[in-house]
Parts: sequence; structure tokens; C-alpha cells
Amino acid sequence: MANGRLEKFLNRFADVRGHEVHAALYLSGFLFLITFSFSIVKPVKESFLIGLVNPAWWPYADLATALLIGFVVALNARLLNRLPRRTYISVTILIFIGCLLVFWYAFDVYLKSLVSTPVTDSSGGIFFVWIPLAIIKTWPVCVFVFCFWSDVFIAMSVTQFWIAVNDVFDPYQGKRLVGLFVTGGLFGGIAGSSLAALMVIARLISAENLLLVCPIILLLALIMVNLIYREQQHLREAGEVEVNPVQAGARVGYWESFLSVKRSRYLLLLAATLASAMVAGSLINFQFKFAVLKIFPNAGDRTFFLAVFFLGILVISAVFHLAATGRILRSFGIRWALLVAPVLLLAGSLSVFLVSAGALLAWASLIRGGDKLFDNTISQSLRELLYIPVPADIKYKAKIFIDMFVNKFATGLGAGLYWGLYRLSGFAYKDEVVKVREIGILVVVFLGLWIVLTRAVYAEYPAVLKKDIRRKWDEGDNIVRANVDVDLTRDVFDALQSRERSTTLYLMNVFDLVRKNNLTPELKEVLGIKQDELRARSMDCLFDVGGEVLFHDLDEAIADKDLASEIDLIFLLPSYQEIMVKRLAADAGSASEVDRMDAAKLIGLMVRSPETLRFLERFLQDPSPEVVAYALRSAAVHRRAEHVPLILRQLGNPLTALEAQGTLTDYGPGVEDQLKSVLGDESEALEVRRAIPAVLARFGTQRSADILLDELARRRDDVEQELINALYKIRADRPAVRFREKQVRPELLDMIEKSYAICLSASGLAAGGGEAAGPAAEAKVALDLNVRRIFDLMTLLHPPEDIVKAYQNILKGTRKSGDYSLSLLDDLLDRELKALLFPLIENLPLEERALRMKKAMRLK
Amino acid sequence: MLIKTREANNVVIFDIEGEIRRSESMQTTLHNQVKSHLDRGRRNVLLNLEGVEFIDSFGVGEILASYISTQNLGGKLKLCRISKKLLLIFQITMLTKVLDIQEDCECALESFEKA
Repeated sequence: MANGRLEKFLNRFADVRGHEVHAALYLSGFLFLITFSFSIVKPVKESFLIGLVNPAWWPYADLATALLIGFVVALNARLLNRLPRRTYISVTILIFIGCLLVFWYAFDVYLKSLVSTPVTDSSGGIFFVWIPLAIIKTWPVCVFVFCFWSDVFIAMSVTQFWIAVNDVFDPYQGKRLVGLFVTGGLFGGIAGSSLAALMVIARLISAENLLLVCPIILLLALIMVNLIYREQQHLREAGEVEVNPVQAGARVGYWESFLSVKRSRYLLLLAATLASAMVAGSLINFQFKFAVLKIFPNAGDRTFFLAVFFLGILVISAVFHLAATGRILRSFGIRWALLVAPVLLLAGSLSVFLVSAGALLAWASLIRGGDKLFDNTISQSLRELLYIPVPADIKYKAKIFIDMFVNKFATGLGAGLYWGLYRLSGFAYKDEVVKVREIGILVVVFLGLWIVLTRAVYAEYPAVLKKDIRRKWDEGDNIVRANVDVDLTRDVFDALQSRERSTTLYLMNVFDLVRKNNLTPELKEVLGIKQDELRARSMDCLFDVGGEVLFHDLDEAIADKDLASEIDLIFLLPSYQEIMVKRLAADAGSASEVDRMDAAKLIGLMVRSPETLRFLERFLQDPSPEVVAYALRSAAVHRRAEHVPLILRQLGNPLTALEAQGTLTDYGPGVEDQLKSVLGDESEALEVRRAIPAVLARFGTQRSADILLDELARRRDDVEQELINALYKIRADRPAVRFREKQVRPELLDMIEKSYAICLSASGLAAGGGEAAGPAAEAKVALDLNVRRIFDLMTLLHPPEDIVKAYQNILKGTRKSGDYSLSLLDDLLDRELKALLFPLIENLPLEERALRMKKAMRLK
Repeated sequence: MLIKTREANNVVIFDIEGEIRRSESMQTTLHNQVKSHLDRGRRNVLLNLEGVEFIDSFGVGEILASYISTQNLGGKLKLCRISKKLLLIFQITMLTKVLDIQEDCECALESFEKA
């Protein structure tokens, strides 16, 4: 099958991308073969355990596993450290094949009772006699060894599979592909169980002989593993994939695995959740065994029933997985999907107290089947999702400990509890229904614990996810605000500029610095001011009303600290006001720009009067932007409503726009309605309308936010960028301001639609090649800006810090932090928004992106 | 004020001559010019102030506005070849805490690459 068609086919099961097709297929094939073989081993094990061993001995199998699994994990860790990965997996598969042949021999010997009398000869034949004898004499030790071995085989095979996944794919790829792997595993299980059931029912093969099928399957798995690693080696040699740093540098010991879990609260909770689920599952299994034994005393019937049962569960699991797992995850999100299994099992387990003896097997099958169904499908996918925020190296170590040790230890703990119950309460003499109900009490306790721990894990999940997502950059205005006194800087530069142009203006600017207590010694030095000179010249200037200097002696009487208040007092003198109005009248008509600048600045220092306001009005319309700038600052002092239209007009002039914005900000939220009407009036100059949102953002009131949102709802492209910037600013600076979802969401969806249009046109242009390269690049830039706007709008509905971090890391982060950001968004956003947004922000080839967008639009 | 624009190593360089002051500025201000490059997807901006003798409060506002616009998009804006007198004022007003000022353009271009 060509790669494209194969990709399409695989996409039915998971989100598989072109370059991942082969590796994903090999890995799901590998899991198919593994589960195929242990679906054969499992019914054989269960059948021998139930039929050939007394119920009082049942828990010993699980207890033995719990006690001994630690040694296996340690041995496994040694092998993992010492052997190349490909060799390690190949060698262990060969060991498993050898073990299967040995167990087949043991069961065959016991069941056929081939040897009844040992025969000794000198040629070494004694070995072939004593071995069968030992098997028969020590029975059922062989069954326990087989149970232990099968647990090790299943746990190790699954762990090896995930190690291989970790070697080939990064966590986010793993998350996307988990659906395909689970499908492979389920079909493997179905195939294995079907084969076992068919062979037994057709009496083609006895239970123990089923074990001979497994080596053939495992040989195929061996080939598959070697294909996976050979392909990876070729890709690495061709430089198409990077060496996975975890694989390259990994040295995983048992102790390190344990410590990696112990050090992380999140991993501890994850391990505890899995343990409580496994204990509950183990106890449910004992309930099931009692029910099966009661109905099927015959080994052949039992093996057949178990094979059919496990097959049925796997078929239902496959159907459930394909039809429902994805939907549950998308519809409920991780948060609620985590609760599906424990809550339904709890409800089912509580019903044991209402079940009659006749319905016991049906009930037990339902509960055991439900447990297996969830374990095979949704729990498997959820476990992988919950591992996503764990750094790859830690995950690698923790997974070995949790999947192999905690898993089996918890099963052993369940067995221990059953053993205690069996020994302490005269359990053996009770009716089967009573036994199942007494075990049911323990099941309910552990299912309750599972639910509590699940909530705890989810509470930790976002924090763990966010830990590795840091801001890549801070907002520029926040940096400026934190480090620079912008008003002081403006005053300093004004003073410097005016020194060369007008003494009056210079000293008025210096007084601004004095008034704000900002005239530091360093600044005085830069401005070239000497202490005495400042005092003397200021007074000279202030009373320099037409060349005549008044009150010469005053300068000696006024100390620096009193200077500002003394000057203020002088400004209040009616005689001074009268003289200054005359001076204003003269300067207002002056042809000299400097005179008019002096006058415009002076108005800000004067008492408000009809005359001064009239002059201010005139200066606000002055042809010189320098004069207007000073007039705007004076207007900010007097704040008269009649000046607002003139100030608004200055927003359209780039030379005075920043000053005008500052002045309107000083006016305060009282001018919001005037700003709103200009903002919505298309006959106004575009530059004026574009400057207004920034002013509203500085007010940061609820009313300002509502005005901006109303204007955004009118969908005018020409001010869209400014409106969104302003809304984002309010959201970032004023957490108390509320944004209604029903207002924001339509705009967000509209923005996504616009981005889709750009993206689809870009993919068309890119396909055109050559001449279309320029427009394609422009489309890319436009798309980037639009995506930024989408994220800015999303901050209005979700925690802004999380959205900003996600945006920055997707744009400029490492691959890992980008993946974590996608997971964070996956957790934060609702289903519709995720479906529409992800095709835009995921790293996809253009063609693939276009396809996903079309699909998302159809869903919408 | 005269502004010439060129590109090197993925950095847009503005060679500015004259005085950055309100009275010397045209309707297309420095900030507008920086913004138009940002709108075209450029993210690294270098202001070469070798030929700049004086900056007024308007000029500082333009530089800060350009810095904010660039920074908000995840870009970098740097200054180079600033006169000693201007550098002193920038230091006193703490502008050096915000603006990355390099001695010469080559160092500035290298620093963009390192970042």
C-alpha cells in the first residue's frame, strides 16, 4: 500500500502523520503480537490456577509475584543498562520463547502422567526421569511458577513495548498515536483469544498445547522489533531523525526508578492511583474466579469459557475503543474521563449486595469484564496522557517502576487481602455468594480510594504541565513600566531640549522636575545646573514679565525644598495672573514657535480662567506639533470637556498622538462615551480611531472593556488589531474586569475562520511554487498575526498567563515545551475550540493542515 | 532626521541621521517604520544612532514605543553607536535597563545571533 493510502487508513485509528507511518505500524504490529501471545497464555494460566489448585492457594500466585517482581525489575534494569536496546528486547523475547517450551513440557508431563517409575541408566537418562518426577511431586509449584512467569512476561513485554515507543517517538507523538497502539493491542488480544477458543472448542488442541502456539507468535514479534530498530538506525544514519537523548544516555537502575517516583508528588499519586485500581481489579478477579468455579467445575469447559470470555471482552473493548474512547476523552476531557472507570465499577460493585446466586456468574462477568474493558481502552489512553507532563527521562524511569513493580505489588496486595479474609473469617465454609459479597466490601473501599486519588492526580496535573512551560518573553510595556519612570524621562529630555531654545521654557521644565522631587544631583550635573543658580534664575525667570526682574532678594530666602510650593503660591497671586494673561495674549499671536511653546507650557501652571482656557484651545490647534505637545500637557492639567474634540483630533497626527493619548488618559474614564462615539464613527480619521483603544485600555474599566468588545463585534478589520491589543491589555492588567463568553466566543470563532481562509489560500499559493512564493510568504505573516490575535482573545476567557505561555512556547519554545503547551491547551479549551484551533497551531505540513481545517470546519 | 533602512543577518537596521525630535520628524515616524517591518514578519531591529546628535522627549517616546512593539511580538530591538552624552542621559533615566545598547553594529548583529 502506498504511504499516502496507508496513512489515510491508519488515520482511522489515530492521528498519524506521513513520516510516522512505518514506525507506528511496526510498533502497533509489535503490540499486536505481544497481546496475541499473552491472550493465549492468560486463559491457560487462569484455567490451571482455578482447576488444579485449591481456592485457599489462589492468592499465593499473586503474592509470589508481588514479592518476586522486585528482583525481576532489578534484573531487567541491569539488562536494560548493559545491552543495546535492540539486543535487550530480542534476548528477552528469546528467553520467553525458551520458558514457554519448558512450561509446555511441565504441564504435558503432569497431565499425561508420562512417568510413574523412575528408570536409572548410566547414560544420563536419569535427568529425563527425575525432572518429570520432580514436577509431579512438587505440584502445584509448577502452576505458581507459571503464574509468576506469565505475570513477568506480560509486564515486561508491555514495558518493553513502551520503551520502544519512547525510543522512536516523543511524548506528544506518543499521545497522538496511543489510539493506534491500543487498537493494535486489542486486535492482538482478539486474535489470540479467538485462536485459543477455536482450537479448544474444535478439540484440535488441549489447553497446555496452546502454549506451543506462542513461540511462533513471539518469533514474529522478534522480527518486528528488529524491523523497528533497523529503520530507526537507517533514519539516524541519513540524519532524518535525532538520537533520542533519553535512549542515548539512559542508565536505569531499580533504585533510580524508585527514587524518581518518590521525589515527585505527582508520580507518587499516579502510582497510588494505579495501585488502588490494581488492588480493586485483583479482588474483582477473585470474585470472578469463585463465580466461574461454581458454574464450571470441569477444566476443559472452564478453559473454553475463559477463552471465550476474554475474547468477548477484547472484542467489546475493540468496539468500545474505536467508537467511544476518543469521544469520551474529547467530550469530557481528562478531568471527567478519569472518573468513568472507577465510578461505573463502584456502581456495579455495590450492586453485588442485590445479586442472587443464579445471577452470580453474569454479575461477576459484567464486573470483571467492565474492569478489563476500561483497563484495555480508556484507562490505557488516560495513563499515557497523564504521563505527558512528566519529563521524558523521569517518565522513562518511573514507568518501569510503576508498570512493573507497583502494578504487580498492588495485585499482590489484593491477593494478600483476599488471603487474610480467607484465613481470618472462616471464609472457606461460607456460601459462594457470601464470599463474593465479603470480597465486594474490600472492592468498594479500593474503588472509593481510586476515585479520591484520581481527583488528587488531576488537581496536580495542570501544575506539573505548567512547570516546564515558561514565558519566552515579557510584555514590553511591563518591562518599561518596571524599570523606567517614563514621565521623569520625558521631563528630562524636555528640559534638555528647551535649554537650547528658551530660558523660560527650560526653567519651567526644571520646575517640573523639582515639583516631582526628581532633580537628583546626577541630573543637575547633566542639565548643568548649580544649586544657587537654580534658585536665582528660577525667580528671575518667573518674574521676567517683559524684561523687568522683580523681587531680587527673594532667591536667597527660598530653600530648594520650598521652591515648588513658593512658586505655586506666586502663581496664585491675582496680580501675577493678570500680567501673565497679557503675556499669553502677546505670545499667542507671536510668529515665534518658541514663544508659543512658552505660553502653552505656562497655561498648565496657571489658574484656570476663561482667558487661559481660550488660549489653550488656540494652542491645541497650533500648526506647530511642538506647541501642541505642550498644550496637550496643559490640557491634561485643566481637563475641560470642551477640549476633548481638539485632543481627539491630535490622535490622528503621529507627531502628537502619544501626547494626546496621555492627555486623554489623564482625563480619566469620564470621557469614555466620547471615545466610544468617535471609535464607532467611520467618518472619523482612521488614525484617530486606531489610537482610541489604547486609551480605553489604560482606563481599564469594565465600561471600557464593554465598549471595546461592542466595537469588535462590528467586525471592522481596520481597527481590529488595536481593539484586540487593548482587550488583551485590560485582561492582563485588570483581573477584576469580566468578559462575557457569549460576546467573546463569536469573535474568536470568526478570527479562526479568517485564519483558515488565509491558511487555505497559503497552501494553494505554496502548491503553485515559483512566482507564488512572495504572496505565500505574505500569507504566512498574516496568519502569524491572526494566530496571535486568537491567543489574545483566548486570554479573555481563560487564565491569561497560561494562554500567553502556551502561545510563546508554541511559537518559540523547544519541541518539548511546545508539546507541553499543546497539552495545556488541550486541558484548558473546550472541544469545539480545540478542534478548530489545533490544525492552526500544530506543526503540520501545509497539505495536511489544509485537510484538517476542512475536516474541522465540517464538524463545526 | 533621515532614516535609511537595510537588512543584514535577518536584522532590520535603521541608520538614523540628524536629530530625533518632533520638529524634525515626518508623518511616517520611526515607530511607524519599525511597525511596518514588524507587520512584514521581521522580529529583529537595530537602531544605528551613529549620526544622531540629539533626541527629545518625542524621540525617546518613539524609541520606547518601537521597543514595546518589537518586544510584545517576541522580537528584539537594540541600539548601537550612541554618543557618550546621550548614553549618560540614558543611564540616568534608567533607559539602559530596558534598551540593549551596543558599542558598534557588528557586536549588535552578533548579539542577535547569540540570542
